[in-house]
Amino acid sequence: MKHIIYIIAILLFSITAAFAQQRQVNVRVDGLSCPFCAYGLEKKFIKIDGVENLKIDVDKGILTFTEKEGETVSEEDIRKAVKQAGFTPREITYTKQPIKDEKDRNTKR
Amino acid sequence: MKYHAYNIIISIVLLILLIGCSPKLKWRFSKEIPLGEISPIGIVYEDDGFWLSDAERNRILKVNFDGVIQEEYKGFHRPMHISGDDSSKIYIPEFLIDNIKVISKGRVKNIVLLEKPDAPAAIDVENDLIAVADFYNHRIILQENDTITILGTEGHGNGKLYYPTDVEIKGSLIYVADAYNNRVQVFDKQGDFIRNIGEMDSINVASGIYVSNTHVYVTDFYGNRLLVYDFGGNLIQELNEHLNKPTDVIVSEQSLYITNYGGNTIVIYKR
Repeated sequence: MKHIIYIIAILLFSITAAFAQQRQVNVRVDGLSCPFCAYGLEKKFIKIDGVENLKIDVDKGILTFTEKEGETVSEEDIRKAVKQAGFTPREITYTKQPIKDEKDRNTKR
Repeated sequence: MKYHAYNIIISIVLLILLIGCSPKLKWRFSKEIPLGEISPIGIVYEDDGFWLSDAERNRILKVNFDGVIQEEYKGFHRPMHISGDDSSKIYIPEFLIDNIKVISKGRVKNIVLLEKPDAPAAIDVENDLIAVADFYNHRIILQENDTITILGTEGHGNGKLYYPTDVEIKGSLIYVADAYNNRVQVFDKQGDFIRNIGEMDSINVASGIYVSNTHVYVTDFYGNRLLVYDFGGNLIQELNEHLNKPTDVIVSEQSLYITNYGGNTIVIYKR
């Protein structure tokens, strides 16, 4: 009986880990082709709690980041940061990303 | 006799016009130096090459006149418009962390600012005077020993700045690339407004400036141009060959060097 419980526990843990995901946030902003604009936006976002793996695609005008595990970044905070940088956010979308291992999770921009 | 004098006057006038329009005084495209994966923002000229800031890769580079990297300093935090002095020091504003660093004899050191900027976009140094373009505070910070003078406040009128991205000390005046007011503004060292330059020339983000002994040079980022003005603000020449999102400019003798952020090149004009 104990063996069965252990096996079930291991299976449940594995399934949970397999489905564990972080949310990737994609923010579309006009005018990011200017480096002062792009890095200014970056400067505002790195101060937000819960933001990691911040990247800016200057050509496409898209800022992306992942939410730290267990944390959520509100749309209000996102829009506020974009406005503080002098922009108007056009579109905010979300995609799921599988939680990476420790090495990748700690990668900074 | 009258006819002879008339001919002399006409000849003198024609000679003056000819000199004024002489091709020797006009800048002409010479060549383009490819920089590979360097996305240049700021440039400093030296006799054996250029110092460049590469904000995308957080580094400062020394390249030769073929664009080949000679020295590399990594670990900066979005270095923007850099500046050099006569002792070969390179001053670097770190846009992301509101810091100023200096490279001197191969070593990187911090410079203490008494007034903290919010995103320093440019720096210029002349003797004990430091000028910093404070991007998000829409102002220029002048620091001379322990004395701080602030130039400009946020806005669009005379004496107001809107996201300044470059600054140059020239004599008793301070020239500012007032980027998102699409012009250059000139102040004295006490902070008084002197004049605007380029306001009527449809500049689309005045990203960088250089001031020589005779002219003011302004890069027009989205207009893909370089505009040359005299000190009265009169447009002398407009350059647009091979320019792709230019961010900075410097003149040395008969050569003019422009950083192409959009094209990863340095464009050279000569006269």
